[in-house]
Amino acid sequence: MGLLNPGALIFFAIVPALVIAYLARERPARVTVSSVLAFRALRGFRKERFGGMPKFDWSFFVELLILSLAVLAMAKPYLIRRGNPIAIVLDNSAAMQAATREGASRFDKAKNETAAMLSNEDASTVALYLTAPQPHQIGGAPLTPIQARFQIAQTSVSDAPPDPAAIAGLLGELASGSSVSKVIFASSRPLAPPAPPRIDAITVGDPVENFAIGSFTLRRETFGAEALHARLTVANFSPKTQSLQVAVSGDDKPLAVAKATLGPNETGLVEFPSLGPAIIYKAELSPRDGFSLDNIAYATAGSVKSVSILFVSPRPGDANGLDSIPGVRVSAKSPDAFTPADLNNIDLAIFEFAAPKELPTVNSMMVMPPAGDPVFGFEATPSAQIQIARWIPTDPLSDSVNFRLLNIGQGELFASHPWMESAVDGAGGSLMLHGERQGHRFLATGFNPFPYLGKRNLPMSILTLNALGYLAGVGANSGGYRTGQPWLVPAGVHDVILPSGKTIPAKSGTLFTEVSAQGIYKLVGPGNLETPRAVNLADLTTSNFESVPPLKIESSSAAPDLESRSEKSPLTGYILAAILALLALEAMLLYRRKQSPLEA
Amino acid sequence: MFGLPDEFTPSFLARLEELRIKTRRQYPGMGKGAHLSPKRGSSLEFSDYRHYSVGDDFRYIDWGMYARTDKLYIKLFKEEEDLLTYVFLDASASMGFPAADKKFEKAIATALAFAYVALASGDRVMIRVLAGEGQGPPPSFVVGRHRIVDLAQRLTGLKPAGQTDLATALAHDLIGLRRAGKVFIVSDFLMMPNSIMRGLGLFTVATMDVTAVQVLGTREMSGQGLSGDVEVVDAETGESLRVSIAAQEREQYHNTLIRLSREVRSFCLKRGMHYALYTTGDSFDEFFLKAVTDLGLAR
Repeated sequence: MGLLNPGALIFFAIVPALVIAYLARERPARVTVSSVLAFRALRGFRKERFGGMPKFDWSFFVELLILSLAVLAMAKPYLIRRGNPIAIVLDNSAAMQAATREGASRFDKAKNETAAMLSNEDASTVALYLTAPQPHQIGGAPLTPIQARFQIAQTSVSDAPPDPAAIAGLLGELASGSSVSKVIFASSRPLAPPAPPRIDAITVGDPVENFAIGSFTLRRETFGAEALHARLTVANFSPKTQSLQVAVSGDDKPLAVAKATLGPNETGLVEFPSLGPAIIYKAELSPRDGFSLDNIAYATAGSVKSVSILFVSPRPGDANGLDSIPGVRVSAKSPDAFTPADLNNIDLAIFEFAAPKELPTVNSMMVMPPAGDPVFGFEATPSAQIQIARWIPTDPLSDSVNFRLLNIGQGELFASHPWMESAVDGAGGSLMLHGERQGHRFLATGFNPFPYLGKRNLPMSILTLNALGYLAGVGANSGGYRTGQPWLVPAGVHDVILPSGKTIPAKSGTLFTEVSAQGIYKLVGPGNLETPRAVNLADLTTSNFESVPPLKIESSSAAPDLESRSEKSPLTGYILAAILALLALEAMLLYRRKQSPLEA
Repeated sequence: MFGLPDEFTPSFLARLEELRIKTRRQYPGMGKGAHLSPKRGSSLEFSDYRHYSVGDDFRYIDWGMYARTDKLYIKLFKEEEDLLTYVFLDASASMGFPAADKKFEKAIATALAFAYVALASGDRVMIRVLAGEGQGPPPSFVVGRHRIVDLAQRLTGLKPAGQTDLATALAHDLIGLRRAGKVFIVSDFLMMPNSIMRGLGLFTVATMDVTAVQVLGTREMSGQGLSGDVEVVDAETGESLRVSIAAQEREQYHNTLIRLSREVRSFCLKRGMHYALYTTGDSFDEFFLKAVTDLGLAR
């Protein structure tokens, strides 16, 4: 037994003071009167009544005991007892949704086996962890075994893929630390031998056949075109050749069906060159299997159908050429009048001879940005006659552009940029840079294409349209948003409606982390306008149940220190309960005494 | 003055001279006096006739009766004797508390005033002290107003002490009284009501004319100046009580005292006794001279 706050024992010094006070009160003024006859009608001492000071009798000793207990409680006594704290790491990643041969999901089986193992353990406390979207502890402080069983029963599986490195790190930390004596790891992923001795692994689910959709992307072949080109990666994780069928629907209406025959463990591509317009596209793979999550994928047409552009330039007349593009709305503003709030309800921004003072919250294009801007930090060298030196032939930006006929004339050449890559190089620097930052695409050009847009210099117009298409999401190679990966809340969005229908308040510019579910998220912006956003598992590594790489744990094998496993069991709660009981007893007895007649 | 209490100023003594003791019945005395006695004697008040016998004084022959009946009758007259006056003074310990009220001093003054009225009327006075500490007056009758000084000196030498059970003490003293007469009892009567009633009832049985004077202190009436948590100790029995006294309790105490006092008064009046309550805060001479009737006196 020990005391967490032994300094509080100094308050025992007030006990003698209490005794003195009682003694003083116990000797009231003795007054001789002619007769006590008339005093008999009066009540007894006020201190003998409830709420007053009790007599120096049994109640004094009760109060002395109460005071002593209170001082002891302030000292925070505890009992040292050897505990058996354990940790449970329960894998709730998407792969745990797969069905087992018994019919139940891997996750349910893992929960049952974990609860059964916990029942066999003489655990004092349980630290419960889930693995998806990132390993995290649930239930706050270590739980009692009963609380842990309740929490395990309450947990649900996520659509997010696991993070093997983070899980291995957590297990390694738990296995090598001294806070727990045993770690129970329940997962479909086995541990690579040699597993740390303190980890008891529960591996659920055998290797099973699985057919999966990997990515589902949409692109518009040309900027302003109505039809979309859909591209899906599908995989056959089975030991035999399998014919797979993909059916795509738009806004719940069937649009197209395509088939692909894939060999064992083969990944293929299924394309739909011309999908009709819709807001939400859904792809379904058949035949179905025991893991339905990757048999479905979602995509959205996004904002490509109608693009709203803010043109920030000291020469707003340069934006006239943009008006000729179908589905494009342009508004112009001078750099001096521009504020970040102007980007609300804007799909993309173009800064001509100007640069924003903070990173724009929409996809943006910088045309011949001024040197020394603090946000992007471009280093540009003026060039009187730019010569195209290199371009990436397969890049959407350079698609269909005849660079040999591209006559740019004078412009600027960028030096290498920390996070933007060159798409087109000139002699002595980059002519066009592109990159993604905080979920948005940015593109910088060392030339001004807009005066030529739609007038002459066809390659320049194609290059410009490619650039606008890149910024507007057309022809994107990105697989879209994936479960478990947070994204920045776009400007103007104040709520996000999850696929489950639950509405989560959101703040623009902050990371949105409630991304564990696959499906369509609705971003609610100004005027309660809802913008759909597709979030998919899109992780063929997770879908591959044929060969699951084991988890390698690295931990020190040193035995934990026994002392460190001892637990301090606080006694303060029991002492406070005893104080309350004594107070109630005293109140009750004083009340009974008050009820009895006074001495005759 | 001459050892008398301060209240006995010359004017007060002069007023006392005007008073006389009034009894509701006639008591035989021990000598000539101013009170009609049941004995036949030589007063002017006719009592009866009897036949003339040889040797009777011719002056008492009723000649009118002889003329009508031709027989000699002697007229008999009532005797006028002095009144045997007993003054019982409670000198128990309770009379000494609260000291500031000077209850005992006032009780002595009351007893002396009664004695002076009696002595001034030529009556015999015996002062009997119940309990107390010190040499009290001897248990014998005194006559003559000059004896008041002696009585005063004897009484002022007393200190209140001891415990008095009125019934027991009066019964004990009553045995020594050979003749009935007027009884004055001066006490605070702070004792159990049944003891008071049994004690006073003894005098009724002995056909005595009783006046009870209750002397209470002003502080005593208003809670004895106590407040807060106090352990009160009975001056006579030593019994102690722990009480908390505030305004409410003080009023309750006062009402209890008043109720006890009324019980004594009610008992006295029912038994044909005189009763008077004197509170020490009041002027003694005013009380005594105004409450003449209640005190069993007359002018």
